[in-house]
Amino acid sequence: MSRSLRVNGTDHEIHSDGETPLLWVLRDELGLKGSKFGCGIGQCGACTVHIDGRAMRSCITPVQEVSAPVTTIEGLATEAGLHPVQEAWIDHNVPQCGYCQSGQVMSAVALLEEEPNPDDERIRRFMSGNLCRCGTYPRIHAAIRAVADGGDA
Amino acid sequence: MNVSRRDLFRLGAAGSGALVLSMTLPGCASRQGREPSHEGGWAPNAWLELDPEGNVIFTLARVEMGQGTYTGITTLVAEELDIPPERIEVRFAPVGSDYTNPQYQLQVTGGSTSLRTSWQPIRAGAARVRHVLVKAAAAVWQVKSEQITTRDGAAHHPDGNQRLPYGDLVSLASRQSLPDEVELKHEDDFRYIGRHNRRLDARAKVTGEAVFGIDVEREGLVYAVVSRPPMQGAWFESVEDAEARKMPGVIDVFTIDRGVAVVAETYWQARKAQEKLDIRWDETDAVTKDHQAVFTQYRRAADDSSGDTERSEGDAMGRLEATDDRFEAEYEAPFLAHATMEPQNATAEVTDIGMQVWAPTQGPDMARIAAARVSRFSPDEITVHTTFLGGGFGRRLTQEYVEEVAAIADRVERPVKLIWSREEDIRHDMYRPAMLHRFRAALDGSRIQAWDHQITGPLIFDWFARNAAAAQYPWAPKFLYNTLASMGRMTEDTFLTPKDHSAIEGAVEYPYDVPDIMVRHTHADAGIPVSYWRSVGHSHNGFAVETFMDELAHQAGEDPVAFRLKHLADMPRHRRVLELAAEKADWSGPLPEGRARGVALHRSFGTYVAQVVEASIENQRIRVHRVVCATDCGQMVNPDVVRMQMEGGIIFGLTAALYGWIDWEDGRLQQSNFHDYTLMRQDETPEIDVILVDSDEGPQGVGEPGTPPAIPALGNALFALTGDRQRRTPFSAGTANA
Repeated sequence: MSRSLRVNGTDHEIHSDGETPLLWVLRDELGLKGSKFGCGIGQCGACTVHIDGRAMRSCITPVQEVSAPVTTIEGLATEAGLHPVQEAWIDHNVPQCGYCQSGQVMSAVALLEEEPNPDDERIRRFMSGNLCRCGTYPRIHAAIRAVADGGDA
Repeated sequence: MNVSRRDLFRLGAAGSGALVLSMTLPGCASRQGREPSHEGGWAPNAWLELDPEGNVIFTLARVEMGQGTYTGITTLVAEELDIPPERIEVRFAPVGSDYTNPQYQLQVTGGSTSLRTSWQPIRAGAARVRHVLVKAAAAVWQVKSEQITTRDGAAHHPDGNQRLPYGDLVSLASRQSLPDEVELKHEDDFRYIGRHNRRLDARAKVTGEAVFGIDVEREGLVYAVVSRPPMQGAWFESVEDAEARKMPGVIDVFTIDRGVAVVAETYWQARKAQEKLDIRWDETDAVTKDHQAVFTQYRRAADDSSGDTERSEGDAMGRLEATDDRFEAEYEAPFLAHATMEPQNATAEVTDIGMQVWAPTQGPDMARIAAARVSRFSPDEITVHTTFLGGGFGRRLTQEYVEEVAAIADRVERPVKLIWSREEDIRHDMYRPAMLHRFRAALDGSRIQAWDHQITGPLIFDWFARNAAAAQYPWAPKFLYNTLASMGRMTEDTFLTPKDHSAIEGAVEYPYDVPDIMVRHTHADAGIPVSYWRSVGHSHNGFAVETFMDELAHQAGEDPVAFRLKHLADMPRHRRVLELAAEKADWSGPLPEGRARGVALHRSFGTYVAQVVEASIENQRIRVHRVVCATDCGQMVNPDVVRMQMEGGIIFGLTAALYGWIDWEDGRLQQSNFHDYTLMRQDETPEIDVILVDSDEGPQGVGEPGTPPAIPALGNALFALTGDRQRRTPFSAGTANA
């Protein structure tokens, strides 16, 4: 049995079993490798994507439960260029190993869409679902702060 | 500066667990002529390839795992070649003798050695290429080489108008011979070194385009998972796999040396089928020690054997026996997991000419041995491709995941990707060794008169030798691999195999001016696999030494900063960072109610780091508010990358100090994932101020030195806050911990 899934503006026929987590459908069936596997239990946020604009952990979301459009890190940039959050990440030299950063960026974009000018405490709390073993947290905070203060998210 | 390719290349610091400490610069790496990777290309040495279209391709021999080699070493090329770093295309090196790390005689990325071992040879390699490009331009223009300048990837005519891009000069330059001697740029002329601050890999890492090991794609790829023994030292006995074989997508189920493999069309199908396996393990010889039993073993060993003397000055033992005014303390550092964000994984494919392996590994030459060990192929039939690494921290110096995937691919004959779950990654790690530290010291007023430090625990090399020994002899037949490893272990600290410093580094270099010093190591191994973990021995020695220094300062009734300075009269670089950190942190200044400061100073991998941590305890939880970090790492190539490494190193250290804990019950590891192996999160992250000292000294390591002082600086702050001494990690927010 196949099902339909809209990802980054394109409709796909999905053949994976319905219980398969969205993450593995994105990575292995659709070839979108930007979303990462980190823990498989929704603890680290490396797999964060947007479902209907909200940040969700794709490693614990069965694909059969996804009916709204999905946006992944690959769908963030437009023809006009990178998303302002991605630009801020580059300007602040955020990534080290980079493995968690797709998830960090997707969480930050979701936060700023929900709340364009969050205070520091709100940034800290919202971003605490995304682990980074390299310790890029201070720069993640600074990059979000810069986008929020620039007001162009 | 003149560099000859025959020059001896020496390193300023002893390495961590170094296999070989110093040797000649690999001459063949700068030899003229190598097959270019594409038509019309010119590959003047093992690192560089230029073509008529103006492309400059740099082969990076040190893997990028977050520490910044991709940017840093490319910046060295850019400087001597006079081309913007952004214009250079970076490729990851295959296995090859030209790419060996001169500090280890292995193709290893680790020990915070990448930049300092590349500083001269990479610059010289690029400078030689620039030299012949200039000669080619001089021939075209019929002017003298000295009149030509280079910038932005082009030669510039003395008339100030004409320019020749390097691409136009490739054909002519490729017929010139490279000079033996070459002049490197004077630092006053640097355009990029010390100034270039944008990570070259940042864009790929914020768009999802960067390819990590787990992202490797092959036509017809299938997926494998492996069930491994639940206890260290347990063995496979039997498996009932009929149910698993019936699961959708399953291709095969079979045993390999390390466990039971399930291969399926997709990763998720392999996982679901794995749940249906019924495996019996033989636990007869399994290790059943928990943390407490390990430390009981260590204490017995420490009581029974005074250990090997690693440093002895004056008569510490005599003086300590003679005095009644002796101060003693004991410290514990637990086993720790690496927990790289990218779980261990690797991909392998058998072709008609051999095996290809893709792996996020810190040691591709050891990966090749690992693949050869378990497959029908010899090392020269195996190609290893490295990818971006989703964190390393030492975890990817050993090659278990490569051994597994090679054994599986050898059997299924389809390209196969093996992925470890997070639970498998935590439970089958090679851990930071647990270590016991015992100190005795004698004070005379506010001066330390005698210092005795006994370190008890395993040597990492005993575990590391498995594939490392054979990787140094890639022509050796496979039946000798284990013999080579045993020989490596037996000959440790002889002319054959250099000394393993992993247990004692950061303790033998005790910097304080004390008349009688004794540092000794008592060997004790609990049978639990151990490996290198960011900052290695410094991670526990830094904690123990700098906490005990704080205890002595308190005992002497002295300020912790003043007490350290008093014992550092002839150590200007130590003094400098300590004074800078104290000043910037307003060490003696007022603090908000309920907060305290602690300090620590530690040199590792050639770099001096002092940190002042400001902490409080709120609702029974330790809160770290601010860390001030002063760093002297010699000359810097990308100062902001140094800053990033200090920030990350501090958070890595604080994570160990607050949470790091691995323990067993009946031989079964209790931690499994991020809910019970906790890492610091965004809402706990302190404000971090990094001060970088300007220096003309040679560049030193930065990936690891930020970690060691963070642990004792926090513990010392908690002592200042509560009066309870933190003698083991993770620290306790309760009242009685001492």
